Amino acid sequence: MGWLQGGVTEEDRLDLNATGKVLVRAARLLGPYRRRAFFAFLLLVAWTATILAGPFFVGRAIDNGIRESDRNALFTSVGGYLVAALLGYVLYRTAIVMLATVGENFLRDLRRRVFGRMLDQSLGFYDREKSGVLVSRMTSDVDSLSELIQFGLLMFTGAALQLIGSLIALGLLSGRLLLICFVSVPVVALASIKFQRDSNRAYLDVRDRIGNTLSALQEGIAGVRIVQAFAREDIEADRFSRTNRELYDSHMASVRVAAWYLPIIDFAGIVTTALAIGVGGYLVRDGQMSIGTVVAFILLLQGLFEPVQQLSQLFNLVQSGTASLSKLFDLIDDPIDVPDPANPTSLPATGAIEVNGLDFSYRNGPQVLSGVDLQIHEGERVAFVGPTGAGKSTLAKLIARLYDPSDGSITFGGIDLRHSTAREVRDRVVVVPQEGHLFTGTIADNVRIARPEASTDDIREALDRIGVLDRIESFEQGLDTEVQEGGSRLSAGERQLVSLARAALVDPAVLVLDEATSSLDPGTELIVEDALERLMSGRTVIAIAHRLSTSQRCDRVAVIADGGIAELGPHDDLVASGGHYAALFEAWEQAS
Amino acid sequence: MAAGTVSGGKSDAARSPGWRLLIEALRGQRKGLFIGMLVALGWTAVRVAIPTLIRLGIDNGVQGTDPLWKWSAIIVAVGSLSGLFMGLRRFVAFRNARMVEARYRDRIFAHIQRLHFSYHDTTATGELMSRANTDLQQFQNVVTMVPITTGNALIVVAVVTVMMIVNPILALLALIGLPFVNVLGRRFSQKLHPAVLGVQRESAELAGVVEETVSGIRVVKGFGAEPVQSAKLDVEADDIFNQATDVARIRSRYLPAIELMPNLGLVVVLAYGGHLVIEGDLTVGELVGFNLYVFMLIQPLRMLGMVVAQGQRAAAAGERIAEVLSTAPSIVDPARPRELPTRAGAGTVEFRGVTFGYETLAGPDRTDPPPVLRGLDLTIAAGESVAIVGSTGCGKSTVARLLPRFYDVDSGQVLLDGIDVRELSRHDLRRAVSIVFEETFLFSGTIRDNIAFADPDASDEDVRRAAELAGAAEFIDEFAHGYDTELGERGLSLSGGQRQRLAIARSLVADPRVLVLDDATSAVDPTKEHEIRDAMAEVMDGRTTIVIAHRPATIALADRVVLMDEGVIVAEGLHSELLATNARYREVLAADGGDADLEKASA
Repeated sequence: MGWLQGGVTEEDRLDLNATGKVLVRAARLLGPYRRRAFFAFLLLVAWTATILAGPFFVGRAIDNGIRESDRNALFTSVGGYLVAALLGYVLYRTAIVMLATVGENFLRDLRRRVFGRMLDQSLGFYDREKSGVLVSRMTSDVDSLSELIQFGLLMFTGAALQLIGSLIALGLLSGRLLLICFVSVPVVALASIKFQRDSNRAYLDVRDRIGNTLSALQEGIAGVRIVQAFAREDIEADRFSRTNRELYDSHMASVRVAAWYLPIIDFAGIVTTALAIGVGGYLVRDGQMSIGTVVAFILLLQGLFEPVQQLSQLFNLVQSGTASLSKLFDLIDDPIDVPDPANPTSLPATGAIEVNGLDFSYRNGPQVLSGVDLQIHEGERVAFVGPTGAGKSTLAKLIARLYDPSDGSITFGGIDLRHSTAREVRDRVVVVPQEGHLFTGTIADNVRIARPEASTDDIREALDRIGVLDRIESFEQGLDTEVQEGGSRLSAGERQLVSLARAALVDPAVLVLDEATSSLDPGTELIVEDALERLMSGRTVIAIAHRLSTSQRCDRVAVIADGGIAELGPHDDLVASGGHYAALFEAWEQAS
Repeated sequence: MAAGTVSGGKSDAARSPGWRLLIEALRGQRKGLFIGMLVALGWTAVRVAIPTLIRLGIDNGVQGTDPLWKWSAIIVAVGSLSGLFMGLRRFVAFRNARMVEARYRDRIFAHIQRLHFSYHDTTATGELMSRANTDLQQFQNVVTMVPITTGNALIVVAVVTVMMIVNPILALLALIGLPFVNVLGRRFSQKLHPAVLGVQRESAELAGVVEETVSGIRVVKGFGAEPVQSAKLDVEADDIFNQATDVARIRSRYLPAIELMPNLGLVVVLAYGGHLVIEGDLTVGELVGFNLYVFMLIQPLRMLGMVVAQGQRAAAAGERIAEVLSTAPSIVDPARPRELPTRAGAGTVEFRGVTFGYETLAGPDRTDPPPVLRGLDLTIAAGESVAIVGSTGCGKSTVARLLPRFYDVDSGQVLLDGIDVRELSRHDLRRAVSIVFEETFLFSGTIRDNIAFADPDASDEDVRRAAELAGAAEFIDEFAHGYDTELGERGLSLSGGQRQRLAIARSLVADPRVLVLDDATSAVDPTKEHEIRDAMAEVMDGRTTIVIAHRPATIALADRVVLMDEGVIVAEGLHSELLATNARYREVLAADGGDADLEKASA
């Protein structure tokens, strides 16, 4: 009873032309598995033939064996049937495995390729795309395809072959009898088209309502404390009940769609059988046809109508699968903003940073920076300050080549960053983000993300270099402590320390620090400050500063406002010059 | 065969709560099930008649002397009944199941809403979600299966009977392989299910890698962690590949074999049946009828094989659902609740020797943690505002949670206007005591719905007044749809400070006599805090207020400050007094030192 259901919204539905293109491209993606895919198809054709052979042998047995009382002819047909059955077993078994291997290889390649493309994209891509959409490409879109491949493909191909094969076999048996099948064609066709449309709509509706019910459920559980605090238990239960009722209604609408369609197809089969008996009987009595032919015909008819209803069910699944595939191809086709050059130049180990006539705007966005010039010496510490959205963080990220400039250039040790590879830039310039985001795995795994080949000793050394080895080793499992997603088992300060250790492990010439806006508890704050100071020593540092206490400690401060550098110089000079920065500093001093 | 397996399952019924819940659900659906059985009976009769009619058509029509149209007409007539029953069967079976699903989901939800805080403290949201979702799906599946399985069993019995009547030896030969279909079907289902779950598990792990990469993309890009994440994905993609090909192998082992068995039966029918026809002991029509009957048995036998495994899974799911439903709420209304005195001049709060500790997850290696409150005494006069200050874990938030009776004290008493909170109805108590939590949770719906949460009957004026008091009216008016602005997943997302102010408005709408602010202003951006502070002063006026805070500015609003440490009160007095005389107080406050925020100050 478990049905494969699928559906596709109007805006996602592909027209015939687009579907063709997607399928051709998918076939190309099959690459090394294409021959096996073709072979699997041949197996299915052969398997279908063995199924259709059954009624044929029964007919022969009746005409040549039974009616002629010829036991040899009877047993020849029986033998033929037996061989067909056994052959069918072997073919079907082989086809399942082969088709699955091809399909799963295709899916594996697709998953890798899509994710690989996502990773190759610059930060600009992630600014543009909603993260939920990106995740759903790799989950629901690939899953809908994999459902199609794991279950639908075999059924769809099998049903299509059986339908075509049955029609051919029926035609071969008797062209005249085949005509009676066409009596039911208009009804079956109309019903199938209507069913396909209605079930698509019903499926989408059910899917939406399931979503609503789940979010109502989630909200009710997550907000249960508030509900109880305001004594709203009964009202919330009623509210939920209404959403739940809508889900029930849409389930029932979907049941109704199938409940009228399946009987129609079933009835069409029975009517055709009845006609075959009537017309066939007439032909037999008239001596124009053998009884065996009529019997074979009737037996073959039993397999004609089931594929029809299978196909109309699967049609929606196939449509949603091609729609998903097309979205995945779009993602693979999205050009990369920050590409590696064909012939990369090596970057020197250290060097000054020079920003020359830099313009920058996000794709299809307004200009963020214009005509920025800035030199940062080797080993210098520069703070970028300024209002939100003025571009200080963008400028820092451009220096780390997380974006490429729209115009102008950024060089490191005299080499344009665009002439180097992403890998090499990352070895020289590391960006430490605001929050210490941790990935699933151990602390060691988390430190290692920047240099996968690093040994445990390398990691210990990196931790030691920033003075936090003892603290991490004091955990029960030390470096092998498992952190949960988002790092919920470590404190915010400890997460920061792991983040700093990552940078220490890379040992880059330039550090870009995105200072956290929220403060830590005072004890941890000190430890993090100390680790940071050790990490910064001997490196060029660009700090996206949110606090004056930070900018005060830097060699120079760049106030970034209105798409450019408004003020630039040592903290004391800027305070003395009486500009924007001085005003900020004054306000702060008065407040504390 | 089928009957044996079903009764085998029944032996557990008396003990297992899962089976008991299943039986209870089926009993609730008695009428639908009865109709389902009737339909199944009709369907069986019609289905089984058709091959016999085809046989008669061949023997008496095609090969006989009856008018040809007679048998065609009869087949069409019976066929239309078959269609009717087929549609009804499907409709009734699913209707029953969906009704059970909807009814139990309502029940689970309503029950969860009434379960005490400490239950929710130790139960993950996701776990409760799967009770009301995936477990319920498994559970309702069985309800679908009851009439359908009955129909299938009837078909098997009827077909076997008809075949035996026509020719017992041929019937036995034809059927000899078919029990294997049942056995294989059962094994197939048992093997397939865990493998399919395995694929789902691996897919979830892959989704985890994608999610953490996308949400942590700044880290991935900042440190150049692309190769690491890509390698992680490769591992997961390989795992899915292996699991999915395992599934395919299981399918390849069972599906073709399940198809082969009836085919072998057909071969035997043709061989021996053909022999019988030549001998004159069987007609051609009967031979064709046998063929059709063998076909007809395949699907029911396969499904009967799967029923057992599905039933077991449903019982396991039922057991998990029963576990939730059988948990009794521990905070319940007294049999005869007392009435609170009228609002005017009321709002005295008293903690008398209160000792309390949170329940922890049961486990062999866990010892009970020390109590959070140890004989706490605190009296707050009507209309007074008190700030409770202390370091993390000192028990200040617990005080806030005991007053509205989210938990019951281990010993001692919590009194509101001289009445133990356990003697009041929860509804009255929680109308009288409003709490604003540190984490603001807003519901999907309009701003108005959210503010009027505590009092759905509140007028627009009440809602507006509450918003004004909480300092929220100004930003609400700036929205294009004002109070009708939709919040939540598909609506507007608000800043932390805006959410906080809505939460405060929500707590004020029912005009509570006691207001508890549990760290309610900590999420508010410091530069905006003064706005709320002004509003707070008005809110506190004439209302008993308990403020749990760590910002000096907020603390200063209170009439009196209470310093807590390790579950008891260690000092009390005015903010300025404590600041001057108490070292511990200064220490606690210093932990929240401020630094100017460049971005916001200059924005």
